[in-house]
Amino acid sequence: MTSIVVAILVFVALGALFGVGFYLNQKTPKPKGCENLTADCEGCRITTCPHHPHSTEGEKENA
Amino acid sequence: MELLSMAIAAILINNVVLTQFLGICPFLGVSKNSKSAVGMGLAVIFVIFGASLLTFALYKLVLVPFNIEYMQLISFILVIAAFVQFTEMFIKKYSASLYKSLGIYLPLITTNCVVLFVAQDNITQGYNLIETMVNSISVPAGFMLVLFLFSCLRERLDSADTTASWRGNPVALVVAALMALAFSGLAGIV
Amino acid sequence: MWQNFKNGFIKENPVFGLYLGLCSSLAISTSLNNAIGMGMCVTIVLIFSNVLVSAIRKITPDEIRIPVYIVIIATLVSIVEMIVHAFMPELYDSLGVFLGLIVVNCIILGRAEAFASKNPIGASAIDGLGMGLGYTFALVLISVVRELIATGGIAFYNPFDATQIIFGFNIEALAPYTVSLFSGSVGAFLTFSCFAALFAFIKQRSAKKEKEAKK
Repeated sequence: MTSIVVAILVFVALGALFGVGFYLNQKTPKPKGCENLTADCEGCRITTCPHHPHSTEGEKENA
Repeated sequence: MELLSMAIAAILINNVVLTQFLGICPFLGVSKNSKSAVGMGLAVIFVIFGASLLTFALYKLVLVPFNIEYMQLISFILVIAAFVQFTEMFIKKYSASLYKSLGIYLPLITTNCVVLFVAQDNITQGYNLIETMVNSISVPAGFMLVLFLFSCLRERLDSADTTASWRGNPVALVVAALMALAFSGLAGIV
Repeated sequence: MWQNFKNGFIKENPVFGLYLGLCSSLAISTSLNNAIGMGMCVTIVLIFSNVLVSAIRKITPDEIRIPVYIVIIATLVSIVEMIVHAFMPELYDSLGVFLGLIVVNCIILGRAEAFASKNPIGASAIDGLGMGLGYTFALVLISVVRELIATGGIAFYNPFDATQIIFGFNIEALAPYTVSLFSGSVGAFLTFSCFAALFAFIKQRSAKKEKEAKK
C-alpha cells in the first residue's frame, strides 16, 4: 500500500519539478548577444526543439 | 585496470553511435561542422554524467527501498528532462559565453536517446557508483569522438558531387557504414 | 483524411522521408520478428498519445505543453512495456532496452507537437495510425533485406508463443552466400542508406512530374 502512495508521490513530484523547471527556464531571458543563435541543425527533425525552423517546415514538404 | 578497459570498450568497441545506433538524430543533424560537433559532445557528456548520478541515486535510495522499480522508465525520463531544463536555466543566467557555445545544444538533449540509455544501462548492468561514473563519462565520450570524426568527413562530403537522390543524409549514412566497419576492426583491443 | 493516412507511407514516411526515429529503426531491424513487434508497440503508443494530446489540447497551458506531452508519452510507454513483458516475454527480451527508448523516439513527440496539438481527436488518431504504420512499413522493408542477406531466410514467430512459426522460408540457393555483416551495424547503415536514397528518388521524380503538369 505504501509503495503505491510513494510511487504516485514520486511521479507527481518529478512531474512538477520538470514542469516548474521548464516554466522557469522559458521565463529566463537569454543572455545578451545570444538571442538569435541557431544550431546548424536543419538535418534534425525534432520539432519540439526551440531552434527548429518551424516556419520553413511547410515549404520543405512542398518542395 | 578493469575500469580502464571498461572505458576503452565503451568508447571504441561498443561505441554508442556505431554499434548501438543511439543518438543518430544529432549524429546526422549537428555534425555539419566540427565546431558544433564538439559543443554538442561536451553538452552531452555533462548532461549524461549529471543525469546518471541523479538517476542512480533515485533508483538506489527511493525506487529499491519502496519496491517500485517499475517506475524506473518514467521517473528517469522526468529526472533527465528536469535536469536539462535547470542546467539550461543556470547557464543562461550566469554565463553568457558558456551559453553561446553549449547552451543551444541543451534542448536537443532531452530527446537524445543516449541519455536515457546510459541511465538505464547503469542499472541493468548492476554497476556500483564508481563504475556508473566511469560508464557515464566514457559512453558520451565515444559519442563525441564519432560526432567529431564524422563532422570532419562531412565537411568534405558536402562539397563532393553526389547524385541528387543520394545527396545529404543517404550518402552520410554510407560514410557511417564505412566508419562502423573501421571501428569493428578495433574489437580485439580489450 | 485518407490523404493524411497515405502520406505517412511514402511521401512523409517518418523514417525515410523525415529521418525520425532512426535509432530504433536501425537497431531493431535485424529480423522481421523484431521489426513487426517494435512497429506495433510504436503504433499503439502513437495512436494513444495523439488521442490524449488532442483531447487535452484546449486545456493545456501553452507554457508547459512539452512537459505534459512527455509525461503522457512516458506513462503510455511504461504501460506498453509492462504488457509486452507480461504477455510476450520473448519479444521483450529481443527488443531489450529499445522498448523503453520509445519514450525518446522523435516520431511520437514530433507528431504530438506538430499534428495532435492542433487537430481534433479523430484526425489525430488517424494520423497516429498512418505514421505508426509508415514506421512499421519502413522497419519491415529494412529488416526483410537484412534478414534475407544475413541468414538466407525469413521467419516470423507468433509473438505470444515463440515456438510457433506463423510463416517463414529458407532459400537454399542463398545459403552459401549469406553475409553475416548485415546483421551488424554496417549492414544496417548500408541498407538504410539505400532505401533512403530510393525514397528520395521517388519523391524527386513525383515533384518533377507535378511541376511539368503545372506548366
